[in-house]
Amino acid sequence: MAKKLRQLAIYGKGGIGKSTTTQNTVAGLASLGKKIMIVGCDPKADSTRLILHAKAQETVMDKVRELGTVEDLELEDVLREGYAGVKCVESGGPEPGVGCAGRGVITAINFLEEEGAYTPDLDFVFYDVLGDVVCGGFAMPIRENKAQEIYIVVSGEMMAMYAANNICKGIVKYAASGSVRLGGLICNSRNTDKEAELIEALAAKLGTQMIHFVPRDNQVQRAELRRMTVIEYSPEHKQAEEYRELARKIDENKMLVVPNPLTMDELEGLLMEFGIIEEEDEEIIGKAETA
Amino acid sequence: MEKENSVTKAPLEGIEKEKTEALIEETLELYTEKARKKREPHMTANDPGVEGCTVKSNRKTVPGVMSARGCAYAGAKGVVWGPIRDMVHISHGPVGCGYYSWGTRRNLVEGTMGVDVFSGMQFTSDFQEKDIVYGGDKKLETICNEVRELFPLAKGISVLSECPVGLIGDDINAVAKKASEELQIPVVPCNCEGFRGVSQSLGHHISNDTIRDYIIGTREFAEPATDYDIALIGDYNIGGDAWASKKILEEMGLNVKAIWTGDGQIEHIAATHQVKLNLIHCYRSMNYMAKVMEEKYGIPWMEFNFFGPTKIASSLRAIAARFDQKIQDNAEKIIAEYQPRMQAVIDEYRPRLEGKRVMLFVGGLRPRHTIGAYEDLGMEIIAAGYEFAHNDDYERTYEEMAKGTLVFDDASEIELEKWAEAYRPDLVASGVKEKYVFQKAGIPFRQMHSWDYSGPYHAYDGFPIFARDMDMAINSPTWGLVKAPF
Amino acid sequence: MSETCAVKKVTEITPEEVARVKEWINSAEYREKNLARTATVINPAHACQPLGAQLVAHGFEGTLPFVHGSQGCASYYRSTLNRHFREPAPAVSDAMTEDGAVFGGQNNLHEGLENAYNLYKPKMMAVFTSCMPEVIGDDLNAFIINARNAGLIPQDFPVPYANTPSFNGTHIHGYDAMLKAIMADLTTDKKVEGKNNGKLNLIPGFDANTGNYREYKRICNEFGIPVTVLADISESFDSPLDGTYRPYPGGTPLAEAADALNAQATISLQEHASKETIKWFSSETEAPVEVMPSPIGIANTDAFLMKLGELFGKPVPASLKDERGRAVDAMTDAHQYLHNKKFAIYGDPDYLAGMISFLLEMGARPYHILCSRGNKKVGKFLQALLDKSPYGEGCQIWINKDLWHLHSLVMTDPVDAMIGDTHGKFVARDADIPLIRVGFPIIDRVNLHRSPYIGYQGAINLLTSIANTFLDIVDRTCEDKHFEMMR
Repeated sequence: MAKKLRQLAIYGKGGIGKSTTTQNTVAGLASLGKKIMIVGCDPKADSTRLILHAKAQETVMDKVRELGTVEDLELEDVLREGYAGVKCVESGGPEPGVGCAGRGVITAINFLEEEGAYTPDLDFVFYDVLGDVVCGGFAMPIRENKAQEIYIVVSGEMMAMYAANNICKGIVKYAASGSVRLGGLICNSRNTDKEAELIEALAAKLGTQMIHFVPRDNQVQRAELRRMTVIEYSPEHKQAEEYRELARKIDENKMLVVPNPLTMDELEGLLMEFGIIEEEDEEIIGKAETA
Repeated sequence: MEKENSVTKAPLEGIEKEKTEALIEETLELYTEKARKKREPHMTANDPGVEGCTVKSNRKTVPGVMSARGCAYAGAKGVVWGPIRDMVHISHGPVGCGYYSWGTRRNLVEGTMGVDVFSGMQFTSDFQEKDIVYGGDKKLETICNEVRELFPLAKGISVLSECPVGLIGDDINAVAKKASEELQIPVVPCNCEGFRGVSQSLGHHISNDTIRDYIIGTREFAEPATDYDIALIGDYNIGGDAWASKKILEEMGLNVKAIWTGDGQIEHIAATHQVKLNLIHCYRSMNYMAKVMEEKYGIPWMEFNFFGPTKIASSLRAIAARFDQKIQDNAEKIIAEYQPRMQAVIDEYRPRLEGKRVMLFVGGLRPRHTIGAYEDLGMEIIAAGYEFAHNDDYERTYEEMAKGTLVFDDASEIELEKWAEAYRPDLVASGVKEKYVFQKAGIPFRQMHSWDYSGPYHAYDGFPIFARDMDMAINSPTWGLVKAPF
Repeated sequence: MSETCAVKKVTEITPEEVARVKEWINSAEYREKNLARTATVINPAHACQPLGAQLVAHGFEGTLPFVHGSQGCASYYRSTLNRHFREPAPAVSDAMTEDGAVFGGQNNLHEGLENAYNLYKPKMMAVFTSCMPEVIGDDLNAFIINARNAGLIPQDFPVPYANTPSFNGTHIHGYDAMLKAIMADLTTDKKVEGKNNGKLNLIPGFDANTGNYREYKRICNEFGIPVTVLADISESFDSPLDGTYRPYPGGTPLAEAADALNAQATISLQEHASKETIKWFSSETEAPVEVMPSPIGIANTDAFLMKLGELFGKPVPASLKDERGRAVDAMTDAHQYLHNKKFAIYGDPDYLAGMISFLLEMGARPYHILCSRGNKKVGKFLQALLDKSPYGEGCQIWINKDLWHLHSLVMTDPVDAMIGDTHGKFVARDADIPLIRVGFPIIDRVNLHRSPYIGYQGAINLLTSIANTFLDIVDRTCEDKHFEMMR
């Protein structure tokens, strides 16, 4: 019987640890025997280095630039296999400030589809998507027939939660016409106060779940120094077990929802409730220090 | 412009304001509520002199209605920059825009293609995915260098941006500045992406602004100035129009120092700030620079109309009035010389065209400008509209049209069909997209952008051809074959 | 700026300079520089994707092509088709402007769909994109579903859509993308297990010759094979003038197209212009899906007819065998006028392949073969054809070269004639050789799109125009002493 390919997109605020979380989770799934492809959708092209033990993979757009046209590009030019047979592709793109990185994502995914990268033996495709942009080219992975499940990497920090909420707004837009759903929040702990409770509460308000709380552990950095996932570097370490647990939860996840994004007031209310921000003092608004 | 025509037009039989208003109402019923609201202000039954009875113009096209309009790039490439013969015009972006506009405007030029003239060629950066993703500035720099090497007699380069260039935020101005310094020729960046504005019109304006910013005043004429130095502005030499216009202006004793931009030479255009008078034919596309030259250099400008002997004669007199007695005498001499020849043309064609009714729908100038030529042939204009005109164009139009005639803006195809069905005009004069629609319906048609591959239509050389073409269109025996006898 | 001396005087280019450069651009030195160009494309022989998409859309019954993007794009595609066919080409755009670039094109698309549906009463709207929505990444799928849900168009009204970025591929790829999208949309839930409607799906590819379409249908008719041409533009762009304008004068009936997955077989006659469509057909139906060379010339037509016979279990009819004989007779009668003559040809890959095959059959040499946008595989594909004939020896293939390159090639390594669309006319004039007009667009001659160049009859037509062109030149240019009654 043909396997049903599940396509997942991982979004989250820049710097939240999205790529690390994605790669460790993918490694976890791979260690459970799953066949996986990672498509890095970030011009920084750092979505596959832990799987490939490489500094940076040659990207689709780099190669297209070199060849002059996407038509001369072959799949083997840009598709690499890494840890446990995980297939890796990076879309690539320009330095900030020039060109159109979003279009690079579209170009890369179209290329992968046309060249048959989505082979029937795959269980999962993971898209690791730049920052919290959910528009234009960066929304490509969550369109019809691509990623149906979104996971948002978040932490107890205010901006991470703002970003998660914004991403949910994007999901609602696309969910209206397609099958994309939110699978849950992945809390990548920053050791802030009452972090798990806060993210649980945010998840509840969004109508989703905190699928897993990944504690902070320096073992992740030790593995990264070797350009490895924790799963590969120290499979017996407790942090490796955390990622395997996350992987198992994702594998078994049935809770796919259209989220209810919070209004700014609701979000601020939540943050105040948990003491992340203070109630505004109307008296001090717009007053300079010396005034 | 002279107002010798300000007497209201004689009424046309069967054309009444109320009837036209009823037709407009019927037409608007085709639309949904929302679209109707948008289209309603764009059509009116003409009533010259009545305040407030005006057509709304230069507004966004309603999506999905099948407009004939083009885009800002089309205005920049097809109208203002494209005809300049001794520059290389780069369609900067994907291949299509330059390809579709390649050689389709009939801006004739003198010279040897690929050697000293380039306007019949299609230069494109043929953007690929990688150019979108990484930006096209480096490529543009290379293109400028390659053009300079392969076309050493090119006097400049214009860079005409297509949509993606603006969307990805390329800085063509910086590239152009650098290339201009290194290559020692003007390299003019023109940010005329097709998504800007509502029609070709903004492309004209943007291009005028680039001439203002990069070209005008950067050269001086080699020969000493005279009192008779003029520039011919807004003649694009469609089918040789500018040559016909230039000919009689020179016969009158004026020196046509530069033509903007038909058969245009960039250095002559650059020195136009030295002329004594700017004569504007296509007001819509070039009034901007006429006004700039007036403000900055004190050069007066005037509109004129070289379609049909009546308008030619009155225009020649009005132009001559700006000069001394010698020029005025010359004008009378020319008019006297050509008038019998024009009368012979009228005598030949008028009997076959008398009372024939015409519906006009063209760019931003020609409907009002050609009315006189049709009337010289005894033809009647029952409806006229523009693709991309502004208020000032409509203000110049009402008085040229009889009361109750239909005046309209940015018509959609279904509107034109509706009106043609109601009026059954003897001739529709419009563009290539409309041509075959009306011919299938059995209505004679002439393309009035390209002169239907004929021309010139301007000046005394043009009128006999204009008359012949209108006669040919209406009276072709092929129309007699349309209905099968079985 | 200083009024005194800073401003340069107007200069004129001297006739001597013109003469010098004119000679130089025809030189081997210039050719080298010209071929070394890396960024500039000058006089390309290819258009952009949406044009192909619009052509396909016109080939379906009651279908209104719908451009999602700037309005100027639609005007360009329309006028290009108008000029070639001298026929109407009704299409709408949703007129995206600057605000669309910032907020996305959904509002424009929605308003456009609603208005076009109400005004032009189409049976289908085929949506395709120009640059702007492709750069900003509009999601057509979502937008169209949202339009249905908002009641702007009926739930069951077909609105296939294709992404046709102009900065990728050419018009043939847009043709492919739109055709696949239309077929996928129309055939949804229409495949019946085990059903065979006995028909042939015929995909001519990007072909702007209405005569070819009529010829395909005639050939199938001779065989007695019921055919669905996907997409049939022959009536759309060659409709009668009888005093009534019809916005949708022809096209493949939607019901017929919807039944395509129940056909007995599918044939594409342009491999490069139907890759995605063929891939789709192959994955959706178990019935044979064949890609054949464009039937230009005898051998390619033979192969096409034999394939028809094989797929439908019918012998090639005697009438077509006679036709073949007449074509071969015509070619033999005229072979002396083409033998060893060198030609420069340019255009799309499959058209070039067909033309190469025909010229080699005549003992003529397709000497410069130019495809102005293609990949290495296209080069190999064409080279394989040349390798099959001694007349292909020394012939040169130029991929990703343009008509200004061809100018250099023809001036330094001359040919006897060019075959291609109107855009080659400046090269032909400079080289003082004839241009035999075949292909798209032809905007300076009348009626050529009505004269087929495929099949045996097409071979006769091609041959007639090429040979007689050469003979006309002889009669017009030979010295009096060589001016003869017979040729």
